[in-house]
Amino acid sequence: MKYFILCFSLLLTTNAFAQKKVELRFITDGVCGMCENRIEKTLLNLRGVWTAEWDLSTHETFVVYNTKKITENKIHEALSDVGHDQICSCTESKILAFEESYSNINPCCRYRDRNVIEAHK
Amino acid sequence: MTQERIKSLGVFLIFIFPYLSYSQSDTSIYDGLNLDAVEINTEALGSVISLKDPKLKTIISRAELKKAACCNLSESFETNPSIDVSITDAVTGTRQIQLFGLAGKYAQIQVEMTPLVRGLLANSGLSYIPGAWIHSIQLTKGIGSVSNGFESMTGQINVELLKPENIIDDIVIKNSAKLRVNNYINQGGRIETNLIYGKRISDKWSLGILGHASGRSIIVDNNKDGFADNPIGYQLNGMVRARYFGQNGWEGLFTIHTLEDQKIGGQISNNLNFPISSNPWRSNMSQNRFSISSKTGWVNPKNPNQSIGVILHGYRQSMIGNMGSSDDALNQKELSAHQIGGVSQFLFRQDWNKISHTGSVGIFYDNYDINFNAGGYLQGYNRPFVEQNIGISSEWTWTPNEFLTLVAGGRFDWHSIILNSKTRVPFSPRIHARIAPNDKNVFRLVFGEGFRMALPITEEWGRVASNREIRWDQYGSVSGGDQLSLEESTNAGISYTGNFIFNYMPGSITANIHGTWFNEAVIHDYWSNRMRYIYPDLTTSNESEFAMISKSAGISSNYKLDKKTEIRLAYRYQNVVVRNQIHGLDPVSILMPAAFVAKHRALINLSRNFMKSWNLDITVQYHGEQPIPSIQPLAPGLDGKLIGIAPAHQLLNFQFRKTTRKGDFYLGVENALNFQQQNPIDGAVNINGEPMPPGSTFFTDNFDATRVWGPIFGRMIYFGLNFKLIE
Repeated sequence: MKYFILCFSLLLTTNAFAQKKVELRFITDGVCGMCENRIEKTLLNLRGVWTAEWDLSTHETFVVYNTKKITENKIHEALSDVGHDQICSCTESKILAFEESYSNINPCCRYRDRNVIEAHK
Repeated sequence: MTQERIKSLGVFLIFIFPYLSYSQSDTSIYDGLNLDAVEINTEALGSVISLKDPKLKTIISRAELKKAACCNLSESFETNPSIDVSITDAVTGTRQIQLFGLAGKYAQIQVEMTPLVRGLLANSGLSYIPGAWIHSIQLTKGIGSVSNGFESMTGQINVELLKPENIIDDIVIKNSAKLRVNNYINQGGRIETNLIYGKRISDKWSLGILGHASGRSIIVDNNKDGFADNPIGYQLNGMVRARYFGQNGWEGLFTIHTLEDQKIGGQISNNLNFPISSNPWRSNMSQNRFSISSKTGWVNPKNPNQSIGVILHGYRQSMIGNMGSSDDALNQKELSAHQIGGVSQFLFRQDWNKISHTGSVGIFYDNYDINFNAGGYLQGYNRPFVEQNIGISSEWTWTPNEFLTLVAGGRFDWHSIILNSKTRVPFSPRIHARIAPNDKNVFRLVFGEGFRMALPITEEWGRVASNREIRWDQYGSVSGGDQLSLEESTNAGISYTGNFIFNYMPGSITANIHGTWFNEAVIHDYWSNRMRYIYPDLTTSNESEFAMISKSAGISSNYKLDKKTEIRLAYRYQNVVVRNQIHGLDPVSILMPAAFVAKHRALINLSRNFMKSWNLDITVQYHGEQPIPSIQPLAPGLDGKLIGIAPAHQLLNFQFRKTTRKGDFYLGVENALNFQQQNPIDGAVNINGEPMPPGSTFFTDNFDATRVWGPIFGRMIYFGLNFKLIE
């Protein structure tokens, strides 16, 4: 019993506290719960990302990551690759996803289409 | 389906089919759009305690049930910090649950608000709900709502099975069908198959079929005591359900359920070195059930705050069993019991701005025909009896703001047996309060009274697997049979639930203190020498003396260690005392510890996702010392060895699960530390470790298979798969 507790507390300390974590907030375009799922899943699958959340109403993405394992650019790249446009303070212009990756996302998630946005209201 | 319609349905669903709305994904809004290859992965936390509910209610989802390979409901609480699972005896293999250290029968166990684990199925009904059929379990600690009946004394467990819309979930196209198959095999020789089929027939109707077949044909006797570690036999279980979503707020769910279970246990092995003429000790048991139920509901389309629901449910069930050997005819037991009954309930709900009211009128009728014979002691008498009840309930919920919810309810029950024997109409008041100082912390209070009718022999059939003499009270005067006896209790509790975020990761903590005081209870006496007294309706003459008291306090916490790891830690203290009578010239009654209840329980559950599609779940359970009946053949109190102590022990389970697009595979080990109770059956083996035939004096004098406090089987490896066949 006590070994288990020891193991768990070791796990806790190594995982939780021995890392340098940075908070990052930016805007990601999207329209629905499916987008939310895709955005969060993409980010969480990245090595070095500790937590990721996307808010459907404000479109704000909140990411906590470990600077030793991943850079901010890599995070934006990953979202562009799955077809999501982003606005962040790191660049002046909007980070646009390639047309090819945008066309790969599900029709109901086509956030650039006015009709789709209307349908979700 | 428009959004408003979904909303109004939601109100209704929460009322009659709780938490069904919770499962409905919002895909139907996008009917017109192409939905190829859409996979909405809403794998929420396995078990959640809602902060909004005025009751301390844990919702256990399918994600949680995947953490352990649960074959059926009785095994699905392995990762749950509030419920204990115990085995009633070493021959029938019946598993029962405990809440607050009290038997599971004091919690109202329902399937979609209709009774299943009740009457003749109270004994083994938990094993008749296959894990693969379960959609979610709602576990309420503390007395439940009055609308659901009088029987919830310590809590309430409501199991929602898969409904047609859950099976076909995201299939929107008409005439499409879905078939899932689920297989399980373990080292103990248990094989199980479940078939789950769903089909959308038209816009309004959909169909679901749930099938289950399981069996065990290999006789295993790991501890070499001559008794099979598990009974062999089979179970066939099937359910056909039709779902209707109509216009103008109408909907319905119609179910047919049929069940057949056969089990044989005891000295069933062929290689026992008994004399040829001897008859081995065996236990046979068969149960069956047939039931039809219909639930219809209507939400006023003009005013979605008004809704009504009607539940109609009829069933026929039987339990036929015998145990013993003709070489020890005095201790042979036989049971033949049949029950035919029905329930009808009418519920109505009205919501105003801050107040809502739920009323119900319910009738149930049960016709029992129970024949019980135990050797030469009790002559069974066959006199069918009827239990019928008319109950009305009213429950008011007041929610002045988001920080406070008050629920006050009461019900009157015109119960035929209580009316006859006690000439009174029991009133059950219940109060629930929820106080939330902010949106992260909730305090809850509960107080209420409930009662139930016990069937002392049939609902604990495994407990008679012993050569202890059964006596109905200290004079042994009741002429046998199995009669309904009243049990009545008051339950009160306070609990706290808080959600927190630490190190960017969410967690929750729950602490509770609950007490249950029984004015009247059916007591099984474990402490008397070579006898087992059953005190039906143990009522003490002094009002301030209780027949049974349970006090329980627990704390549990869930926390996400990182994005792939979840941990659950729990500890619980429980103290249960039971009134027993010390016989003699001047009988006195004293409070004794309850047998087989550990004072300290702890649980650690860790689940980790790795390599994207793999999951590892580890569960460690700690069971503290338990008081057990002593095997000293001396009169109680003479040598101070009245109460034996079972040692504290730990159990370790782990499981690997691989998820693919087509389904899941899992491989696991239960009781990995290979902990086994030594000599679970008294009198089965002599000092040299040789199995004894039932005709021997040693066996006849000592036999008792009910002193089970730990695992009998030892380490067990299992493998399972859960596969989509057609879509």
